[in-house]
Amino acid sequence: MSRATRTALVRDDRTAYEAAAGSAVGLSGIAFAVGLAALLGLVAIDAPVAGVGLSVALGAVLLALGAAVVGFGVASRTGYVDTGPQPSAGIVAAAAFTGIWVAVGAAASGAAGLGTGGRLGGGAVLGGVAFATTALPREDIGSTVPAGAVAGLCGLALISGVVGPGWEHALVGYNATLFGDTVVPVVVLFASLVTGWSAAKASGGFGARGRNVGAYVLIYLVVGSILAVLVGLVAFVAAKGLPGLLNGVSVGGAGLVSWPFLTNGAGLLADVAGVFPALVGTVWLVVGAVCFAVPTGVGAAVFLSEYAEQGRFTGAVEVATNGLWSTPSIVFGLFGAAFLIPRFGNQKSLIAGMLTLGFMLLPLVLITSREAILAVPDEYRDASAALGVSKWQTIRSVVLPAAIPGVTTGVILGVGRIAGETAPILLTMGGGVLPAKAAAPDVLGSFRLSASPPFVSNPALLEATSALPYQLYALITAGLSGNIRNPQEFAWGLALTLLLVVLAFYAVGIATRYYFRQKLHQ
Amino acid sequence: MSQTDTAETAETAETAETAATTVNRTDGQDVSTTAGETAEETRPEWTSYDAGGETKLAVDDLDVHYGDDHALKGVSMDIPEESVTALIGPSGCGKSTFLRCLNRMNDRIRAASVDGSVALDGEGIYQDGVDLVELRKRVGMVFQSPNPFPKSIRENVSYGPRKHGDIETGLLARLTGRAEPDREEALVERSLERAALWEEVSDRLDDNALGLSGGQQQRLCIARCLAVDPEVILMDEPASALDPIATSKIEDLIEDLARDYTVVVVTHSMQQAARVSDQTAVFLTGGELVEYDDTEKIFENPESQRVEDYVSGKFG
Repeated sequence: MSRATRTALVRDDRTAYEAAAGSAVGLSGIAFAVGLAALLGLVAIDAPVAGVGLSVALGAVLLALGAAVVGFGVASRTGYVDTGPQPSAGIVAAAAFTGIWVAVGAAASGAAGLGTGGRLGGGAVLGGVAFATTALPREDIGSTVPAGAVAGLCGLALISGVVGPGWEHALVGYNATLFGDTVVPVVVLFASLVTGWSAAKASGGFGARGRNVGAYVLIYLVVGSILAVLVGLVAFVAAKGLPGLLNGVSVGGAGLVSWPFLTNGAGLLADVAGVFPALVGTVWLVVGAVCFAVPTGVGAAVFLSEYAEQGRFTGAVEVATNGLWSTPSIVFGLFGAAFLIPRFGNQKSLIAGMLTLGFMLLPLVLITSREAILAVPDEYRDASAALGVSKWQTIRSVVLPAAIPGVTTGVILGVGRIAGETAPILLTMGGGVLPAKAAAPDVLGSFRLSASPPFVSNPALLEATSALPYQLYALITAGLSGNIRNPQEFAWGLALTLLLVVLAFYAVGIATRYYFRQKLHQ
Repeated sequence: MSQTDTAETAETAETAETAATTVNRTDGQDVSTTAGETAEETRPEWTSYDAGGETKLAVDDLDVHYGDDHALKGVSMDIPEESVTALIGPSGCGKSTFLRCLNRMNDRIRAASVDGSVALDGEGIYQDGVDLVELRKRVGMVFQSPNPFPKSIRENVSYGPRKHGDIETGLLARLTGRAEPDREEALVERSLERAALWEEVSDRLDDNALGLSGGQQQRLCIARCLAVDPEVILMDEPASALDPIATSKIEDLIEDLARDYTVVVVTHSMQQAARVSDQTAVFLTGGELVEYDDTEKIFENPESQRVEDYVSGKFG
């Protein structure tokens, strides 16, 4: 008979304890969400809630949560409720709480006017106590008391107004000040994360199940905050950019949409200044870079993984490719400026930008294509060879189709990077700050036959062209001024357009990948 | 010091010989074997079997090395046409290696080197100037685990002929009116019928082949092989990844195919060899062919003691 503890196999009734702990988790989640909203500026921390400011109310919630969490631990330890705690909360939790309490101790000693030695001492004392409290007692005490205490302390600080609206703290030795409307949400986020975790453990009855629930809550809260930041960022750009983007949009009689911001250039005569030249420039730039990098990259990947003997040569190529992918974009820009520009009419041009971005995209396409080709099972190659099909035919009809989803993933990632690049096109492509509509490159319409080699020329490719990220950069460095009515609004609209263009390229890539995956598996 | 070493080595070799865990081969090499295998000398007459009928594949003194590893040692045998030849033996005895030599699939393994000769209808397949594409069209292969391409059932079956240019279905062919959808259709139906799969998949030829069950996938691989119209079909443990019902379907199919094709099948299962094959070759540890004879003779009254031990399940 092993000494493993046994708990009930079937838990059919939710006890009051579990329900209380569950509500504490929910309350922590709500506090976390409010903290997040306050951090993103969606609510003000001094907004009145039930007669008091939001920060005081949140402080009260945190204090109550802290007390509740300690209560859960004590109830479990005294045997008042039936739980299955382990002998210790474990070294990871102990280390985390030690870190938290060292910080609290140092901050408190600092606030009490102690010097560096005093801060270190205060931090060490509280850290030591926290470590002992977490690591030494049984799990139910170790993972609730330090957590509840820190949450209660945060609550008290908010209620008493030690930290609150209007509070500010100049950092000694730094040229920076902490303001209450940033610090309060951070404190709330942190404390509610701690109580959420602790209450979740209690609601799972500690032990393996409790740790599972605790980790679950922690992960969900963190994922939620990441999503919130993402959504907040996009929403911020959208909110700022929409007035500019939608300026003057009207639907004509035949259902034709007139969208001046996207179809106009900038100029004195235009009612609404638009980004048409830069938009077209960006699209051509990405198309050109993809047309250059995808065939060369996939071709090189086929050679490296199917034909070349795996050894020192392929190893060296791999190292070089990885290095090239991590090379800063400004270096590519310099290369383009020094190598490509003298070869294309000695001036900044669209084609120099395309090739520079193509060079940047090439290593990623090569790396991901190679991975994708190597991931195609050898059985396909064997089966094809056993049918008497030649190597090239096998690569073309079996290996490459099976590798397309992987290759597409690489292209999607790469396009996301190059579409927003500013540094390389700053050096190679240029273009005006506020180009007129006529400056938009008409690549398809500019092919000209000529009598002398190379017999075909395209002036549009050889002209300096603007692109969205470059125009934004140029506009900002020019001090947001120019021959347009509202440069501020124009710049935000430009930023939103860039975001949408990159997302559109993503969408195309993801749809392509989905299509080929379906083809392979259905 | 070195003297002691030599003495010790000699002693070890001696003990090993008496302990009957090594085979004293004719060329004087000592080779350790699977535990339980008795020592005996392989006699040439055990393998000089003439099945009668036309010889399809004549193998003469075939040696295969994987780097320093001598995987197949001086194997000679004649495989008669329109019959089933089973290759049996314990793991690592070289039977799969032998099979892969018959359509030069071993060329795809860099470390493998092959000496000796294999003749298909009297023409050496290891001489210079052999067209591998033509060879593999005539000598098809079915692998241990079903490996259909991630394409539709129809495309899987017509893959070989399409790539050989025997059937045109491409976009260009369709545009220029040279496409032969009817011929493709007929070929797909004929091949699937021959592989006993037509009735199960006739209404979903455009579905992805990966959606079939394991047994169906394996029969699809056989159909894909038949579509190229081979003369010899090599099967490397074609039923080892399948359940009993799928296995019995494959076995029935093998017997059926032997009426028109020369089938060489590697198998781990002695019951399978006994059920489906006309003649059986037994490979034992060390990569040598020990006995080759009528299947009945091998399973009821083999010449070699080791073969008798193996087929009666005493080792392996």
